[in-house]
Amino acid sequence: MKTSISYTTSPLLASKTPVWRSKFIVAALVLGFFALAVRAVDIQVVNNDFFKRQGELRFVRTLDLPANRGQILDRNGLILASSVIAPSIWATPEDVEISDANLAKLAKLLDMPIAEVSKKLNDDDKSFVWLKRQVDINRAKQIEALGIKGVYLRNEYKRQYPEGDAVSSLMGFANVEGKGLGGIELAFNEALSGKTGSRKVIKDRLGRVVENVGEQFLPVTGKDLQLSIDSKIQFFAFQKLRDAVQEHKAKSGSVVVLDVVTGEVLALANYPVSASTKIANLNGAQLRNRALTDTFEPGSTMKTFTAALALERGLVKPETVIQTAPGRITIGGATITDAHPHDALTVSQIIQKSSNVGVVKMAMQMQSSEMWTMFDQVGFGKKPQLTFPGMATGRVRPYKSWRPVEQATMSYGYGLSCSLVQLAHAYTVFARDGDLIPMSIVKRDTVAVGQSVISPKTASSISSMLQLASGDGGTAPKAQTMGYSVGGKTGTAHVLEGKAYANKKYRGSYVGMAPIEKPRVVVAVMIDEPSNGKYFGGDVAAPVFSETVQQSLRILGVQPDLSVKPQMVAKAVEESF
Amino acid sequence: MIRFNIALFIATLATMLYIVGVQYESRRLFVEVEKANLNVRKLEFENAALQVEKRAQATPLRIEKLAKERLNMRSALPSVTQYIQNGSNDDVGAKK
Repeated sequence: MKTSISYTTSPLLASKTPVWRSKFIVAALVLGFFALAVRAVDIQVVNNDFFKRQGELRFVRTLDLPANRGQILDRNGLILASSVIAPSIWATPEDVEISDANLAKLAKLLDMPIAEVSKKLNDDDKSFVWLKRQVDINRAKQIEALGIKGVYLRNEYKRQYPEGDAVSSLMGFANVEGKGLGGIELAFNEALSGKTGSRKVIKDRLGRVVENVGEQFLPVTGKDLQLSIDSKIQFFAFQKLRDAVQEHKAKSGSVVVLDVVTGEVLALANYPVSASTKIANLNGAQLRNRALTDTFEPGSTMKTFTAALALERGLVKPETVIQTAPGRITIGGATITDAHPHDALTVSQIIQKSSNVGVVKMAMQMQSSEMWTMFDQVGFGKKPQLTFPGMATGRVRPYKSWRPVEQATMSYGYGLSCSLVQLAHAYTVFARDGDLIPMSIVKRDTVAVGQSVISPKTASSISSMLQLASGDGGTAPKAQTMGYSVGGKTGTAHVLEGKAYANKKYRGSYVGMAPIEKPRVVVAVMIDEPSNGKYFGGDVAAPVFSETVQQSLRILGVQPDLSVKPQMVAKAVEESF
Repeated sequence: MIRFNIALFIATLATMLYIVGVQYESRRLFVEVEKANLNVRKLEFENAALQVEKRAQATPLRIEKLAKERLNMRSALPSVTQYIQNGSNDDVGAKK
């Protein structure tokens, strides 16, 4: 029996090697290959996903595919807000190599002091630093042309509002990340934003994408939003309001134009506003849309609702005579007075002359619950059905807590509050034969259906009274406009400061409609704290109404319903024999 | 048999080289497509920026200013407007 293997024929080299050794080596090799096979199965089959993922982590890059934010358009498809490329400039301080001349040029292009740019570029503690975000594309190209090592560009998108200040309080704004933070931008942020997509790619050493890996998730572009706003009407409303606020040295002003036929908001302007490019420096007061977010005591503009209720209940007729002399009345120990005392007035004249005493005498014949119901039905004390952030509901206290004097003061617009939009909306009742139509700030494709609040007869009577109020002998002859019959009501209220009324601070307002026989628009104007002598609504707000109505009806193509002396001069062709 | 194996070996080598070449060409073309796509996107955004710029040049504020200052125009009022009905030449102006 062999116990060893002979590896040579030379007896000198012969060694006795045990057989088990070679067997051991063979076994070790088999085991080694077996281990390799097991490992191969482990890598290729059992844990394949893990190793694949690890591999991808080392060479695959995931790129975000940003979604474009949708445009905001006016009712005629004109751009009110759109996103454009605005590159941001960033740097890696440790890589920066820059000469003094280039530093000066860079600082100039960035519109920043040299010292500030230098400080940012020398901040070696940071591996990434923004020099300036969202710069003008032409400037970015010039910066790129400087070829400064360590300074790079990154494409971002900036929201632009070509209409500028005229729409800024309505549009709100979107931040550098493209997120809506105010106004329409915030209200419709989800629809406008779209959805960011992504894809996995392999990049080469030059940073170029050379291959797609796996599935691509394409970005979903934000939806365009078409508002009911007419940019021309909006501009004219804003322009007239701005002129009035400046002329009367007022604190602020707002104007709302509603389409009586569709319930759409055609214009909603505020002044003052600040340029949307400097949003970061603005405070809440400058950013908010006062016509929607601020409430005020409407004053005499509420008298029409009291008179409408009295007519609707059959308590009075337009020609019913009510004694308002001596111009004061005492209710529950408090005396209510007229600014200008009158004698006996008909109900129509009470609205025309805006007599507090006359309205209070009508109101005291009614139940407080009836008045509350009327106010509630026309939308006071309720949030308007518009999509807009921070809308005010106003305040109309439950009728059970009304004292007689409060019922009296509410009848002429004190002791309750509303926003200008609510007031304008409520007046559509008189313009639509007693119907209240839902409002919309988005362009409507369907016809909205109104809800009856008062009878067409009452609405017609109030319209006639409103026409009287804006005629000669009324409180707002300045509301008249060339070619169109108008009707409306002034309001002049003391500003409430704390728990008392400020003595010499007023808020002048005017709400009206035109053309009076077949109204097409309701326009509400509010001028806050005019301080240049005039403060009555008929003096400060009615002229804005007049000019806004004139332009709005012209733009809407409404033919004048009043005779106008033509001033057209046609050049005649010389006659020939 | 050896010849056949050598031929197979050469064929394999050629195929390998061809695959490398095709892969290279494919990546080169992919980079071109990427570049073109990037250009499309850039042009789209330039177009959007120009549309906004165009709109900014045609705002009512600018038009009114230019019309008044350069062309000596004034706002149209009912007194200087002749109203006509659709499809008719009849003058239906303001009610008399």
